[in-house]
Amino acid sequence: MNDATQNLESDSENLGKAEPYQHLYVVIEHEEGIPVPVSLEMLGEARRLMDNFNKKYSSNEKVVAVVLGDNVRHLCEDLIKFGADAVVYANNPSLKHYTNLLYTKIICQIVEDKNVARSISPNRSENYKKPRYMFFSADNTGRHLSSTVLAQLESGLASDINKLVISDLEIRHEHKTKGQLAKYEKTLEMYRPDFSGFLWTTILCLDNRNPAIARDYHPQSCSIIPGVFEPLTKEDQRTGTIIDFEPQISDDDLRVKVLSRSIIKSTIDFESCKIIVSYGRGIRDSPEENFKLIEQFAKSLNAEIGISLPISKKPYQTKDQRLLSYMIPERVIGTSGRKVSPVVYIAIGISGAVQHLAGMKESGFVVVINPDMDAAFRDECDLFIKGRMEQVLPVLTELIRKHMLTIEKRA
Amino acid sequence: MGRYDCMPVRPLNVGVIVKLEPDFSEGNVSYNPDGTLNRAETKNILGPHSAAATLAAFYCKVKYDARVAIGTMGPPIANQALQQAQIISNADELHLYSDRIFAGADTLATAEVLRLGVSRMNNGLGADIVISGHRASDGETGQTGPQTAWKLGYPFIGNVIDFHIDQESRSIHAKRFISLYGFYDVIEEIRAPLPVFISADPSYKPSFNTVSERLSLARNLNEARSKADNYEKYLQVYNSEGLGADPKFVGLPGSPTIVYKVEKIPKAKAKRRVEFIDGNDTAQLDTVAKKLLKLMTEAPIK
Amino acid sequence: MERYDVAVVGGGTSGLTALRQLSNLGKQAVLLEAGGTTGTKNVSGGILYSKKPKNGRVYNIEDVFGREFIDEAPYERAITQYILHATSKDKLYSIDLTPVHEYQINYAYSVLLSKLIPWLAKEASDMSEKMGGGIISGVHVRSVRWDKDSNDTVIETDELEPFRVKAVISADGANSELADVTGARNKFSSEQLYQGVKVVIRLPETILEERFNITNDEGAAHLFAGDVTMNHIGGGFLYTNRDTISLGAVYHMDSMMVNPVEPSRLIDALIQNKLVAEFIKDRVPTRKSNQALISKDEEIRQHFMAVKLLKAWNNLRSDYFSNDGIKRLIESGKYKTKEEIESRINNLEKELVEKYNCEFGDNYVELEYSARLIPDGKRCRMKTPYYKNILFVGDAAGRGVFIGPRIEGLNVGIDDAVRAANAVARSLDRNNFDQQYLGNFYTKSVEESPYTRDMKEIDKDYLKIFLDCSKNIPKDIVGSRYGMIFKLMSSGTLRGIAVGFANMLGFDRLLPLVESVDTYVNVPVELADRLGKPIDSNYVPNTPSLQERIAKLDYDDDSVSHIQVTKPRSDFMQKMVSLCPTRCYSSENGDVILQHEGCIECGTCAYETLWRHPRGVKGVSYKYG
Repeated sequence: MNDATQNLESDSENLGKAEPYQHLYVVIEHEEGIPVPVSLEMLGEARRLMDNFNKKYSSNEKVVAVVLGDNVRHLCEDLIKFGADAVVYANNPSLKHYTNLLYTKIICQIVEDKNVARSISPNRSENYKKPRYMFFSADNTGRHLSSTVLAQLESGLASDINKLVISDLEIRHEHKTKGQLAKYEKTLEMYRPDFSGFLWTTILCLDNRNPAIARDYHPQSCSIIPGVFEPLTKEDQRTGTIIDFEPQISDDDLRVKVLSRSIIKSTIDFESCKIIVSYGRGIRDSPEENFKLIEQFAKSLNAEIGISLPISKKPYQTKDQRLLSYMIPERVIGTSGRKVSPVVYIAIGISGAVQHLAGMKESGFVVVINPDMDAAFRDECDLFIKGRMEQVLPVLTELIRKHMLTIEKRA
Repeated sequence: MGRYDCMPVRPLNVGVIVKLEPDFSEGNVSYNPDGTLNRAETKNILGPHSAAATLAAFYCKVKYDARVAIGTMGPPIANQALQQAQIISNADELHLYSDRIFAGADTLATAEVLRLGVSRMNNGLGADIVISGHRASDGETGQTGPQTAWKLGYPFIGNVIDFHIDQESRSIHAKRFISLYGFYDVIEEIRAPLPVFISADPSYKPSFNTVSERLSLARNLNEARSKADNYEKYLQVYNSEGLGADPKFVGLPGSPTIVYKVEKIPKAKAKRRVEFIDGNDTAQLDTVAKKLLKLMTEAPIK
Repeated sequence: MERYDVAVVGGGTSGLTALRQLSNLGKQAVLLEAGGTTGTKNVSGGILYSKKPKNGRVYNIEDVFGREFIDEAPYERAITQYILHATSKDKLYSIDLTPVHEYQINYAYSVLLSKLIPWLAKEASDMSEKMGGGIISGVHVRSVRWDKDSNDTVIETDELEPFRVKAVISADGANSELADVTGARNKFSSEQLYQGVKVVIRLPETILEERFNITNDEGAAHLFAGDVTMNHIGGGFLYTNRDTISLGAVYHMDSMMVNPVEPSRLIDALIQNKLVAEFIKDRVPTRKSNQALISKDEEIRQHFMAVKLLKAWNNLRSDYFSNDGIKRLIESGKYKTKEEIESRINNLEKELVEKYNCEFGDNYVELEYSARLIPDGKRCRMKTPYYKNILFVGDAAGRGVFIGPRIEGLNVGIDDAVRAANAVARSLDRNNFDQQYLGNFYTKSVEESPYTRDMKEIDKDYLKIFLDCSKNIPKDIVGSRYGMIFKLMSSGTLRGIAVGFANMLGFDRLLPLVESVDTYVNVPVELADRLGKPIDSNYVPNTPSLQERIAKLDYDDDSVSHIQVTKPRSDFMQKMVSLCPTRCYSSENGDVILQHEGCIECGTCAYETLWRHPRGVKGVSYKYG
């Protein structure tokens, strides 16, 4: 099957009882071979969790990436460099694009397949039934895919998770433990923010120990919010194994057909931005120059640029193509444009009209740069920098660059 | 020697899964001192995503003269959700799945109840197309729909923004909207034979493009209002026995997951207290720069 | 392509009347309305009249909708008092014009169109559905074309596939796109228009009745001329609704062009008049910002709690100060006595003051700001109100009766609509839609309407009643300006001759004399100064900013603007910067630019722009109208 199995096993492990539930399977989402960012983020977190797990429990369970696609082997190789111990790869033209029915079936085939398990850990897979843990992405595709996979595997799923901890817990539960105190080892604590944004709810997927309703629930699964965890830095020396999987596909499985896929003109992605810098009519004294300052400022913070509504009406005559390309409705923030809630929102030369505020009031930390102390924005921000942008921005940009360098040097 | 000029079209049966949820609008919502939702004091309404799903069913009613059944799992007050859904969709049948043993169910156990319910819809004929909302405003998992679909054996098609049914070939032609974070957005066109399970994208809005469809729309809307005034007439209530449910697979016993604990998230959103900075003072700007970088590198809690 | 018999464009009172009348006559018709639902884009002053002229007949709304209209329709109040006030600072001179108001009327009801129109729509659509037609809302009719080959009339909309009809009734208002697109008439110029702007103010029912000294079955209308007009030709009005007040101003648009003042400020001038301020006053809570140092969590909790309590206080108070509210509350079992309710209201107030930083004091509560254009029938009615097989009614045809204190628009449109429906029904019976058979027939019918007569000549009986009401006005104030004419008009014998002569001369010659700054500003100011009584008011109403007024309106903005600026540097457009009621225009380096979000579709700027209504459902939605 493969040659690298020796790399996966170490001698000092406790072979003991081969467990029925092993490894953390991460279902990788990709667009024609390019992983979506959250896939690498999940892998990074999986790696960190399992490294701690293996240390704590003196074991040797693996991070297994699952890839379905058509001719995307190079992706599998990359995933190993990003932390996967093994990558199970199902290659088939029908898998080129995600359809729920087909993907669910094949992923379940993979995670319950004993041969695959043997390839991953040859010495410990006699009792293998299912994964111990499973990760999915919490986006359109991942949320639905995780739901159906877990329905098929008949186990528990927590969605939109932004914190994970593996621990041994003592639990007393009316139904699960019949009121008795029971010890649940190697339990995955899955934290999700609730709808109000105030509370963290911790979800557990636990076996029913109560004899009347005895049931094992594995894998403990969750879908993970994009932009929360950090991916590992790509390491070319990292090794792992790619396991080719032959999926069983019947005609009936193919009954949902994707007729076409069109990519919408890429929208300006305000969602995954931590910082948004917006500007308004304050640039009017010299639009081209001021815009350049704003652009550089935004660049120093890796920020996306938004505009206030009047700017989208192109009120300034200019030949500057770059400036013109930014004065478009897609960049408007407000009731007639986008609603954003970045970690930091910086408003430059914007007075703070009600309809603009409505578009960004959910932002974490709001900074306003404006020479006019009477601007409506002053009551709706955390930091009000009184000053003209021509003076403030160059200084601030320089300071940020300086501090960035120090941080990078330290890292 | 007879010749059929037009085959009678088999009627279309539609099922909708809805949820009663707290009304989060200002003036209606109540919060406890610790910031948690005060459910006792907060009004309940048909959830907004459930409403989108109901609209999709209404589209089928207006355009295809479909038969529409709406089901919900919940306590007796969940009736309100059914009534509101009937106003939107002119539904012909309303189901309430209610039993004490259903309480505490996570999505898998809920899906079990719902799939039993759906098969009893439309006088026992079930549904050719089942529609659910994208997610609930309070639970927010978005899992129940797909899991119910899987248990029914229907392919699940999510984030539907537009669809139509070809009644001759008994298939659905749907458009999906997929947001790939950090990438682009995609619109996908899908075809699948009925029966299917779809979830309506929150942005779903049915469109009726001819005068006759719009007139049918107006007639149905009027009918809906008078039907909903007598909604009890259309209501069927099912308990666990009525559904033929196995107690081991529903409610808490049938739930793999539990809520272990609930804690306050350290950062709370609140009214802002503004700090003033002199833009000409480099030292002050320096503290701003440092603060910005600090915020940038902290893990975001969204 | 689908086929229907008649299309009615516009779901206001006129359009719905046409639809219902056609259904009464057994005809199939489809009504298309651009608003998301009917009634969301209609504004009226407003009073709806039903008239019984001495000579000739008019069709009133109850002739079409039946007795049910009078018994069941949700109009507001029967207006039984009509008083004109001349204003100068805090002095007012009042003239009781009730006899003028009651001239030839069956009744006059104050209305809020957002409430009334859905009722009319239901009545009309129920009938219409039986004939295979109905109402379609959320659809914007873009144009009409005539297919050369099939001789069909095709209706094109933004939302639906095109469809064929045999005839069209255009009830799409002063800014009629059908009139513009077909070239049936020119756009109305500012000499031909009034700009009306209004606010709806809340005042609990029994407080209102006590304030205006009226009973449950009565209503009051107050008009204002003098310094409140800020030197414009026209006047202010205040009408009592059930538990709200419609307060507004209507001014000749050309006087607005000469002396541009933001419409929002014109309303404020009215509100600041002491009599008005006293009329609209109510007990209003305000929430002060929290001085104490409390945690952010606590601040949020307090906010939600305060909002909830304020809502409870408002609701309970509305019920307490309504004619049957107290009874209802007691019957529901929630409260046993009136005193218990009162005490609960006081307790809520106490709690809000003590725990949530609230203050209760005198102010007024504004619910909705709106504006519209009104075509002056005397100056711009269409002489031949049709184009091919499209018949124009009401504002779309430039028809309305406005003479001094007589303000009638709704009823004129209704009369036109019936005549148009009758003409179309006749054509359907004979399948003849030629100009001769349809258009001309309709034109003749409309010419016979007493309303048309009132748009052409002075009614001497009306004049007599008006003069009788004003007999206490010192002759010298008026005489010094109008001298001879006034003497002539006052004399019973000579009046007939004088009026005949005047009518021969024609309205257009007379109007500039009568409708002038003198009449609407100087004379009233002098009257008030000399003979007026001072009104005392102990509070200053806190008027909201224009931003706040706009923030209260419901919009569904289209990404694309429905209006295009074609002359960014003209004088007219420069004036629009002040005259747009929602400040959609601004001046940037000499060019006038448009921000269409916030547009309330009044049409003030229509004359020199490419003006269209927004697409279906898009734009503003009124809650009161």
